[in-house]
Amino acid sequence: MGKAFDLSLLGTFLPELLAYLPITLLILAASLFFGLLLGLLLAIPRLYNIPVLTQLVVVYVSFIRGTPVLIQLFLVYYGLPAVLGLVHLDLSRADPLLFVIVTYSLSSAAFLSETIRGAVNSVDLGQTEAAYAVGMTARQAFGRIVLPQALMVAVPNFANKVIGFLKDTSLAFTIGVMDMMGRGQTLISATAHALEVYISLAVIYYLVVIVLERLFAASERKLQQHERKWASA
Amino acid sequence: MTIDIAFIVTAFFEILTALPLTLTITVVPLIFGLGIGVVTALIRLYKVRVVHQLAEFYVSFLRGTPIVLHVLIIYFAMPKLIDSLSAYFGWSFKSASIPILLFVLTAYSLTAVAYMSEIIRSGILSVPAGQIEAAYAVGMSTPQAVWRIVLPQAFGAILPNLCNLFIGFLHTSTFAFTVSQMELLGKANVVASVNLKFLEAFIAAALIYWGMTIIAERITAFLEKRVTAYSRGGMA
Repeated sequence: MGKAFDLSLLGTFLPELLAYLPITLLILAASLFFGLLLGLLLAIPRLYNIPVLTQLVVVYVSFIRGTPVLIQLFLVYYGLPAVLGLVHLDLSRADPLLFVIVTYSLSSAAFLSETIRGAVNSVDLGQTEAAYAVGMTARQAFGRIVLPQALMVAVPNFANKVIGFLKDTSLAFTIGVMDMMGRGQTLISATAHALEVYISLAVIYYLVVIVLERLFAASERKLQQHERKWASA
Repeated sequence: MTIDIAFIVTAFFEILTALPLTLTITVVPLIFGLGIGVVTALIRLYKVRVVHQLAEFYVSFLRGTPIVLHVLIIYFAMPKLIDSLSAYFGWSFKSASIPILLFVLTAYSLTAVAYMSEIIRSGILSVPAGQIEAAYAVGMSTPQAVWRIVLPQAFGAILPNLCNLFIGFLHTSTFAFTVSQMELLGKANVVASVNLKFLEAFIAAALIYWGMTIIAERITAFLEKRVTAYSRGGMA
């Protein structure tokens, strides 16, 4: 069962693994970007109650929320080449990173569409009506009145989701992606110090999560500055 | 692309045999988590000196690191710990005789405590202070007030969260396959490799998880109606 536990190895492993943090963050950023775009598209049919599309979105969101992300990763890994094979696109030499980003984009889109829908619906309809009453156009009413209030509701929820997604990226190694976890696996094969590698990884993930939490807390305060005046009055 | 629909059905029933193990890995840690989570939540709420900082760090650290790492760390750490203990005390006991499942359950239980503690804390905080004051006013003791007034209301408030946590743990139980447990995903992998039909096997596994999730949601909706019956609006 490996070699004796040696805490001093953390000093060697931490920088080695940190060098691969950009890959982990790239997976997170890319899938959040595509996830947000697709999530917005998915939220629209339900916000405007478009028939057929609404039902399709409901099934899609239910499926993503109802299956483990690891299964989704395998489904994309084995399914995407099969689907794209129909249009004669060969993915046999594609970087596994592609499959990971596709999976997490599809997955985060479902969760984010729910966040977006909830946030927009949380803004009272009277707000839009009042905006119309003072002569705003539909676009102005959305951009100046609904969106700022919806964002305030969405940020805490969004923050939780992003932190969840960051932790989920640690599964990319199962299909051979060289992110922090992937690098950890190769370090383990090279040194047989599995425990030290995993502890180093836990430390790095924890620090990244703390930084993200701080950033989101700061942005939340910024968005709520108008609300807080009320509370302190 | 050829998808063998008939094989999805065969795989579905073959993979389904692993459901009891998946449910064990899901439910046992949640029960431990609920028990110990109440204690850590109360420690954090009453700010018990020193212990409260420890509990705070424990919850934050476990919620801030990927669960797959918890599983792997416990899987590698526990045998080392047990073997060095048994060498130190001269026990005739080797970690190799312990089933891996026990390590997996330990890892998930430790994780469940952190997540449960947070949920229970939010539930207790959601009960207005006036409720416990009213309980005192009618002459209840603190344990009576907590047991009869606070906890039932807190439970109603956290039911949706508990359901989400159950679904979350159902999905994270897939990480047990990284330490070669034959739960749903492990079984799906075997069925896939034996028949060389990966996509079909994972579709079957996905359907099982999806079905389980929908059932869990339905049960929660039903329970929620029962538990929050006291606060329903409209005609009594």
